[in-house]
Amino acid sequence: MNKMTKGVLCTMLTATMLAGCSSNNTNNTGAANDAGTGSSVAKSVTLKMFIAQPRFKEQYDNYIAQFVKKEKAEKNIDVTVQLEMPTADNASQILKTRLASNDAPDIFALHAVNEIPSYYKAGYLEDLSGQPFVSKLLDSVKPSVTTTDGKVVALPLETLSWGYLYNKTIFAKYGLTPPTTLTELKAVTEKLKANNETPFVLSYKESWIPQLVLPLAVGGMMKTEDAEFVDKMNKDEGSFTEMKSAIFDVFDLINENGTAKATEVGGDDGAAAFAAGQGAMWLMGPWYAETILKSNPDLDFGVAPLPINDNADATLINLSASTSLAVSPTSKNKEVALDFLNYVLDDTDSNALFQAMKFNPVATVHTYEMYPWIAEATSYVKAGKSVQDPAIPQSVKDEVGKGLQAYYAGQMTQDDVLKALDKAWKSYNKVNK
Amino acid sequence: MDEQGGAACSPPSLIYFAHHRGRGAEPVPVNRYKHVVSLLAFVAPAFIIYSLFLLIPTIGGMYYSFTDWNGLNRDYSFIGLGNFVEALREDPDFVNSLLFTLKYVLFMIVLQNVFALVLAVFIETKTRTKGFFRTIFFMPNMISTIISAFMWTFVFSQVLPQLAEKTAISFLDQLWIGDPKVSFYSIIIVSLWNGVGYMMIIYLAALQGVPQSLKEAAVIDGASPFQTFRKVTLPMITHAVTICLFLTLNGAFKVFEVVYGLTGGGPGRSTQVITMNIYEEAFSNNFRYGYASAKSVILFIFILLFTFIQIGVMKRKEVEA
Repeated sequence: MNKMTKGVLCTMLTATMLAGCSSNNTNNTGAANDAGTGSSVAKSVTLKMFIAQPRFKEQYDNYIAQFVKKEKAEKNIDVTVQLEMPTADNASQILKTRLASNDAPDIFALHAVNEIPSYYKAGYLEDLSGQPFVSKLLDSVKPSVTTTDGKVVALPLETLSWGYLYNKTIFAKYGLTPPTTLTELKAVTEKLKANNETPFVLSYKESWIPQLVLPLAVGGMMKTEDAEFVDKMNKDEGSFTEMKSAIFDVFDLINENGTAKATEVGGDDGAAAFAAGQGAMWLMGPWYAETILKSNPDLDFGVAPLPINDNADATLINLSASTSLAVSPTSKNKEVALDFLNYVLDDTDSNALFQAMKFNPVATVHTYEMYPWIAEATSYVKAGKSVQDPAIPQSVKDEVGKGLQAYYAGQMTQDDVLKALDKAWKSYNKVNK
Repeated sequence: MDEQGGAACSPPSLIYFAHHRGRGAEPVPVNRYKHVVSLLAFVAPAFIIYSLFLLIPTIGGMYYSFTDWNGLNRDYSFIGLGNFVEALREDPDFVNSLLFTLKYVLFMIVLQNVFALVLAVFIETKTRTKGFFRTIFFMPNMISTIISAFMWTFVFSQVLPQLAEKTAISFLDQLWIGDPKVSFYSIIIVSLWNGVGYMMIIYLAALQGVPQSLKEAAVIDGASPFQTFRKVTLPMITHAVTICLFLTLNGAFKVFEVVYGLTGGGPGRSTQVITMNIYEEAFSNNFRYGYASAKSVILFIFILLFTFIQIGVMKRKEVEA
């Protein structure tokens, strides 16, 4: 009997301990919030940040330390920053859970093109249009963080300007220059083949790689012939059959002249193959530069726009932004959060941060020296040969990746792929009404 | 700690219970009540954890399967059976992945158990090297599935083509994981490599439990080794067959890592299994959590049905020594 009582007591103890844990938590957050509300008058503020880039922890920590010092000196606010850096794989899951459970971090990082539309619609993004940093953003960068109704809702950190990569050494050897039309591209591949070089590296194991052809094709068409394409698709009025030749003419050309076993080659293997000179061109952006240079530090490569038809005006560099910082509208320390955002594009300190993280310049205050391939892409942008990454829903991009893989493996026809894309966009419209 | 307390505690209370029962009818309800309370008290810690982390989320998932929640918005609406109808009627990818999974399950149930049983029987006949072979064949099971999938990716895409080049066996040089026709068998190979060891251990244990006297009696009656196996050993290990079939069936329906690591469901969706289809729906397409939950419920019902049938059939065949 006595032992039974013990057993019951044990259980109760466990239960109390569990309960204790949870009540402790609430107390903690409560305290932090209390400190937050009194922030502007008193002096201590806890700022929660959520940036899914653990590889840059050191750089962020340093920059935050500078910010804390500055805030103390200028506004007499003691800022404590809780920086959370989950890995990129599950970051968006964690962030979504936080937002849905009303536990939003004050500042969080999200993917500009993929995530801003749905997050903005759900009301999780603060309107930043009036902030001083907005006027510093480059015109080529700003559209990617602007919503359809014209509000700037995030600060871009990582931006991309890309087309395809080409091996400058091989091009120079045969006196070739990056082609501006599809016919010229054909001529280039013929010449390379005649000299026993494989024109293209193919790496289609991961479905996001064949997918890359879609933003390039749609971007080029929207700037030249079909400006309303995305709008039409969003209204269920368009169809991908309009893009048929833009996508498949160049995709077929690449596939016919590429390396073998494409469905078994992933991104890293592709980078190694390109670095080893197994192909002269690779449909890929400069984000693989580090991997390429790791396997061949001497490789001389460049970025050029991909021709999709015989109109040279449709041969364009794609501009987009990925990691961007946003502020939560429910933040209790909005003032300090906005201060931090503006400090990220600070006139003096910002250069060092962006250079340390090897990001492209996003603002007029960035004056550091760029990598040669970035400079090359930027020169196209300056010449007006660029287009904003078209706002294609992520689910459609996933679908096109899978579709083009299956097309390459001979399991789907061109029409099957296009039909699947139309369906994916329709169901996106249905879900996001 | 709780388990210890339980072991030390319940016998006295049972004695107490038994002791008092003899005295008359009157105290029994009180004691029975106490007995129930003590039972609940010991089950409670495990049950609380279990319901907190498994039961409640499961029920939550079933609830969401009737909604159109996207995992992000604060509001969502109740749409009844709409998700289930869409999954089975208008979603060819889901149906294809379901069929692909069924094919996989069929292959796995037969091959995994046949291989495991054959290995177990052979290892059982060895007396000296038994431990060695047992360890060797069990080893792949200790490597996590996803790692073995990545290892085999390397073998399929790098090692075998190189071997083909060196030995001129052209059969080895093909698209092991890039060609949808071949990749199904590559997936089976890796799954078997990973899973046979575990089933083999179960069969080994069962084989050791077969009474020697029965086998000897069969031999004296003039039975051949195969007849002995067929008529004596096999019926005696039916309980192990039941468990192994159950485990294989369950595991094969839920396969994910092997396919994810080897082909990623590709090229296209040609090797997409049902779990992967659900994952894609919930986390990468349109984030349709409600719809993905409905697909999970369908998978759950499938596994439940198949398992019930399998256990029901097998239970009738079991015999006692």
